[in-house]
Amino acid sequence: MSETAAAVADEHRQQLELLRSSAASFAAKESPTSRARALRGKAPGFDLAFWSALAGQGWTGLLAPETAGGYGQGLAEMAEVAGALAAQAAPEPLLPVVAFAGRLLEGCGGSELARRLLAELAAGSSLPAVAWQEDATGEGAFGKNGELSDPATVCARGQGLLSLSGGKQHVRPGCAASGYIVTASSVDGLALVWLPASTPGLRCEPVTLADGTCSARLHLDRAGVAPEHLLASGKQAQQALARAHDEAVVLAAAELCALACCMVEMTLDYLRTRKQFGKAIGSFQSLQHRAVDMHIQQQLAAAVVAEALAALDAGADGTARALLAARAKARGSDAALTIAKESVQLHGAIGFTDEHDLGLYLQRALVLSAWLGNGAAQRRRYALLSRRAGEGAAA
Amino acid sequence: MTATDWNALSTEDFRARLRRFLEQDYPEALRYPKRRQRWAEIRDWTRVLAAQGWLAPAWPVQHGGMGLAPDKLIAYFEEFERHGVARAPDQGVVMVGPLLIQHGSDAQRASYLPRILSCEHIWCQGYSEPNSGSDLASLRTEAVADGDDFVVNGQKIWTTLAQDATHIFLLVRTDKTAKKQEGISFLLADMKSPGITIRPIRNIAGGEDFCEVFFDNVRVPRSAIVGGLNEGWTIAKALLGFERIFLGSPKQSQYALGRVRAAAAKLGIADDPVFVDRCTRLELDVADLGTLYARFVEQVKRGEALGPDVSMLKIFATETYSKLADLLVEIAGASGAVPGDIEIDGARIDALTTFYNARPAPIYGGSNEIQRNILATSVLRLPSS
Repeated sequence: MSETAAAVADEHRQQLELLRSSAASFAAKESPTSRARALRGKAPGFDLAFWSALAGQGWTGLLAPETAGGYGQGLAEMAEVAGALAAQAAPEPLLPVVAFAGRLLEGCGGSELARRLLAELAAGSSLPAVAWQEDATGEGAFGKNGELSDPATVCARGQGLLSLSGGKQHVRPGCAASGYIVTASSVDGLALVWLPASTPGLRCEPVTLADGTCSARLHLDRAGVAPEHLLASGKQAQQALARAHDEAVVLAAAELCALACCMVEMTLDYLRTRKQFGKAIGSFQSLQHRAVDMHIQQQLAAAVVAEALAALDAGADGTARALLAARAKARGSDAALTIAKESVQLHGAIGFTDEHDLGLYLQRALVLSAWLGNGAAQRRRYALLSRRAGEGAAA
Repeated sequence: MTATDWNALSTEDFRARLRRFLEQDYPEALRYPKRRQRWAEIRDWTRVLAAQGWLAPAWPVQHGGMGLAPDKLIAYFEEFERHGVARAPDQGVVMVGPLLIQHGSDAQRASYLPRILSCEHIWCQGYSEPNSGSDLASLRTEAVADGDDFVVNGQKIWTTLAQDATHIFLLVRTDKTAKKQEGISFLLADMKSPGITIRPIRNIAGGEDFCEVFFDNVRVPRSAIVGGLNEGWTIAKALLGFERIFLGSPKQSQYALGRVRAAAAKLGIADDPVFVDRCTRLELDVADLGTLYARFVEQVKRGEALGPDVSMLKIFATETYSKLADLLVEIAGASGAVPGDIEIDGARIDALTTFYNARPAPIYGGSNEIQRNILATSVLRLPSS
């Protein structure tokens, strides 16, 4: 690395640290875990007023380009903010909306509507959601070659309208979304169509998740919208979705990593202070070794997530990007869930109570792990993609 | 070429130079050896390396080393690993040299350093004893002052390639009344001294890589003590510096993963879902190990000291390697109990050599259990037991 590059990297590191500490103090002050508790299981599963507060911080516009009223920051910055809020178990759907839907809209560059939606998203006045998965496990969204498969949902043209029929699942943040970017098969290949929540023929069925937030099933029965609602189609739509997907996957891994960090810290505190047989239980070797293994998994996840964030921010593309994303999420999901279960065990019965905050993290980890493909799904995808890319890409 | 010149080269140029040299001078037959090479097998190459002045990459130039900066040093090791260069008996270069440069007397430096660089002296390490393994500080081999000499009595064990060594550096007890860490000294001895007996130990792989070394009234001059009397423990601990990171290198696991993939292809199971699942899991472990390793390497390149957290690398590297070795034996099926090369349709795979190589990895260099103890107290700040 040249001296200039090293200096730039150093400055970036310092900026990220600043953002981390300011996001952490905002989250601790404005969003204690008691706030997250109170919102659980009550539709929409988060607080729209708090969403406005996040917009006030500039965080809903963090990723969006300046032309859309955003700050044009990278995934690394987004990860810091998402991580700080995750540490307080804040339920607001930053990643599904700002990262996944936002990046998808940005990828639909040519569409006037997409630009407007992105500007509204950045300002915090609109919460678009991505509706792309159709089956119970979500794995049908990718074909046997690891590429996006054609949706069963169809988009037909008739009587001056686009008409969508089919169904979608696992749509976050559920029925509180302002509307949905729906994937559908059309004569032009993959179509990305904007369906406002109020579209006739669209029915939204809420599904409550383990952490008390919501996802949705969409039922589309000739849901009709004007032709301008076609945001992108064909190759552009494929590329925009693949990219936004991979970026959201890496950010989900980053949030899982932040949760893992909280759980490790929490468990270490417990091991240092809880006394049995006249001494701190953290002095017992079998528990020490289990704590070390949690720490190693957390550190591995942090290292891989950092590498993936840096690579994607530096423009990694295509299969290389997809492989890195799969690696990060595989490690992030498995590390967070392993750490969550070990944390419960090391806490003993108190760790299984609703009153203890550990449960908030475990439940969020369950949701984030399942979202966009859990560890096993990521490994399958990695195996498919790396085999297709040949020995070279896998190495 | 002087050290300033080495460090002035770009890393790419430096690597290219190393590669050219290795391609030209390193014997093809010794690339990627399956087992530890004996001195007789690796001597000629080591002398070529020494003649080139490249035997001691980390030593300062004024002592005959290359004086490489951290980033060049890492490039040096990576290029050697990439080319599959066998590990020569390197205790003189890795341990004794840096030790004497830091803690030795002028006379010791003048006497020993040139002979390490010329390959006249081959060193081995006498630390462990039959009853002092993980609890090394409890060691009992004692050195009692007698005139100008110490008289050494006791036994060392797991001394790697003692039968090839001309000299041994050892930890001995010089004060039985002090706290166990405070009564230890660091001593240098000639293996030809009367009273030293070497007994090679046959391991489960059939090799004789390590030995027992017995000391029966062995006279060692007082001048052979390094540092002060009873300062041996502090010195030994300081020696576990920079090279610790190499116990956590992903290279061994990458090599084993390659063996697993090649064997699976030959066995026709590369697409078997159970195999793909297990292999992908390990493939990601190896990739993630590489990322974690790179993070520590970056730390070294920035000139920062490595902390006790580097222990996690050793744990994850050796345990990943073990799992790959296990997978290789498993997929070999009924052939998994055949030592050495197994013929399959004209191709060869070797399952057991990797399996055996993997067994000591989580034990040596501080067992993984000891590494976990270190992490628990020094990094996670859990109370000591």
